[in-house]
Amino acid sequence: MCGVEFAYDAVKALDGVSLAVDEGEFLGLLGPNGSGKTTLLRCLTGILKPKVGAVLLDGREVLSMKAAEVAKKMAVVPQDTTTTFDFTVLDVVLMGRHPHLGRLGRETEKDLEAVQRAMKLTGVWHLADRSINELSGGEKQRVFIARALAQEPKVLLLDEPTTHLDLNHQLEIMDLLEKLRAEQELTIIAVLHDLNLAARYCSQLVLMSHGRIRAMGPVEEVLREDIIREVYGVEVEVRKHPITGSLYVVPLSTMKSRRAAKTKMRVHVICGGGTGTPVLRKLVMEGFEVSVGVVSVLDSDYEAARALGVKVIAEAPFSPISDEAYIRNLEAATEADLIVVTDAPYGRGNLRNLEVALRAASQGIKVGLLIDYKSFPSTRDFTGGEATKLLRESLKYNNVFVANTVEDLMRGVNLKGERAEPRLTSEASRL
Amino acid sequence: MNKRRLGLGRAARWSLTVLFLTLLLFICSALSISIGSAKTALIDAAGILLGQIPGFKQVFGAWWSETQEVIVVQLRLPRLVSAILVGAALAISGAVFQGMFRNPLADPYVLGIASGAGLGGVAAMLLSPSLLPIGLVYTRPFMASVTGLFTIFIVYMVARTGGRVPVLRLVLAGVAISSLMSALTMQLLFFAGERGHMALAWLFGSFAIVEGKWDYVEVAAPVILTCSTLILLFSRELNIMAMGEEQAKHLGVDVEAVKKALLTLASIATAAAVAISGVIGFVGLIVPHAMRLVVGPDHRILLPSSALAGATLLVVCDTLIRARIMAPASELPIGTITAMLGCPFFLYLLIKSRRVVI
Repeated sequence: MCGVEFAYDAVKALDGVSLAVDEGEFLGLLGPNGSGKTTLLRCLTGILKPKVGAVLLDGREVLSMKAAEVAKKMAVVPQDTTTTFDFTVLDVVLMGRHPHLGRLGRETEKDLEAVQRAMKLTGVWHLADRSINELSGGEKQRVFIARALAQEPKVLLLDEPTTHLDLNHQLEIMDLLEKLRAEQELTIIAVLHDLNLAARYCSQLVLMSHGRIRAMGPVEEVLREDIIREVYGVEVEVRKHPITGSLYVVPLSTMKSRRAAKTKMRVHVICGGGTGTPVLRKLVMEGFEVSVGVVSVLDSDYEAARALGVKVIAEAPFSPISDEAYIRNLEAATEADLIVVTDAPYGRGNLRNLEVALRAASQGIKVGLLIDYKSFPSTRDFTGGEATKLLRESLKYNNVFVANTVEDLMRGVNLKGERAEPRLTSEASRL
Repeated sequence: MNKRRLGLGRAARWSLTVLFLTLLLFICSALSISIGSAKTALIDAAGILLGQIPGFKQVFGAWWSETQEVIVVQLRLPRLVSAILVGAALAISGAVFQGMFRNPLADPYVLGIASGAGLGGVAAMLLSPSLLPIGLVYTRPFMASVTGLFTIFIVYMVARTGGRVPVLRLVLAGVAISSLMSALTMQLLFFAGERGHMALAWLFGSFAIVEGKWDYVEVAAPVILTCSTLILLFSRELNIMAMGEEQAKHLGVDVEAVKKALLTLASIATAAAVAISGVIGFVGLIVPHAMRLVVGPDHRILLPSSALAGATLLVVCDTLIRARIMAPASELPIGTITAMLGCPFFLYLLIKSRRVVI
């Protein structure tokens, strides 16, 4: 098809779409809702007439051909498989023979054979006598695929074939389609909403956005982080799966929530005992520049920091924080725009972490305490009161505050990351 | 699972069904004829009916009297044939509309033909004969068909968008214009006063007008028979259209052409039916629906079965009316009877059937 334009009333649903599909390809049509992929499919099958441009099948314009002629070459599996009347499965699949029979033709052995072949390929032959409305979603989908196959087409078009299916059925259908493509030499064009499914099975992808083709080509060329960010407005990571070998997309966060991206704020997290892991995850997803310190190399917070690719100041196991680590921690803390202290237990070994927090507070750096101050002395303080003393000291500064969750903390923070003038307040505890 | 079931198995079952229904219709017809002011034995009635088939009398000889035959053929047969034609036309049209609109609750009147024809017929009966160019005998059916078809035409034009006729718009336009036509009819009846009673009776459907006259039948029969036969040719395509118009197009059906053809044929058949007998409700809705529960949704068997069943239903109802069982003084309008008879049967089928219909 070349330069196809189509409009529903005044809204251009398709604008300058040009696409060529070769034989034997498994083409995935992707895009957010409203991007025009279903409209494109309907133009391809001749349901919609483009205002500009043409759709050619084997060199001939689809709209110039009679419906039966087109149906012998091209078969469509609809998204919606609801059926008003109680036809049997065999009846439904037999309808696929209509393009070969015409209005007055009668069904013969040859037709029954084609139908049986199609139904055996899709694994629904044993359901032939059942009423179509008794079947499950996956079975119905396979029946409609069988009907399309009974047309003996060269091109198979599917409109979101896996949308309403369970995970196992989704894979079943896609595996089946791939098998059919290879064995029956079909060309398959499928509108898909699942990027990962498309990446795994399709040989070519077309990604649409606002009625235009944004990207077209092999999977690695289309599923790129920058392109997906542009089209879907979501920050993602595209990785290659070690087992399947195909690309897969991991959504990180939506663009709207990535406040830090604009400010490039640095956050230093003082944690331990696994309390830092959820905080680190959230901060990294939001796009902050994160550092962690000081944690023991055996601590799960250390593992989390490493996994997230975040700078971490570590200490050897079972050792108290050394001077070297302390100094590095202090450096990282004072270079940060915000310090987050988590609800870790504090003993002699990591007491110096709180000292760092206090020092940073005295220099005006914002410090957020994710700590339950009331229960801290009894549940988290294993230093005989020293830790609590340090906390109380730091709370005297007005740039130190307490929050329940990371979200609350972020809300309370001035994102410009200004350094406030350190001021001591008369009240020791403000809560 | 036997592969052969498709070939011989289904054809045999279908043929048997049609045969059974035809036999049922024949028996009811013979019964109908045998009832009346001049009593006729059932066996004679059956014979007279069979005797209408060319060549039958030569082969089997006639065991009934000449006078009886004359009475039956002149007086009762037109009414019987009308009932058969109207029943078949309404049922088959109902089935067509249900399939095309993918709605088991559609009936032949959904596009407004009944209300339009009703208006025409009532107007014809109430307006002064001198205003109308044709003799009164033909005026009413003529007017009814004309206004009926005209109404459908308007509905069609209103619903058409961009070269296609979406089914939903058809139904909505039909409902809207039907209301208008009904309102106008009511007003005519109100202003008619006494004479309105006769018009009202016709409106509810009656075969009394046909008694003893072959004129109507001679005109309507070819129309109804042709339309019904042509409709049967579209049976398989109707099956496919019942799955959805887009799907049908993808399966090679020329959807718009088939829709236009079927709508036209079904409308003409219904118009002819309404012209003869007025608006008989229930047959076009319930008969196809009930037959679908019995023989299944495949229109290749559903259409002929519905036609035969619809004919049988109307013959039975008309017989009850002629026998004055319900109202000794004058004839009840047949529309009131069809619902009373048909409904319990349908309820029975609905309760008995384990299949999901809607």
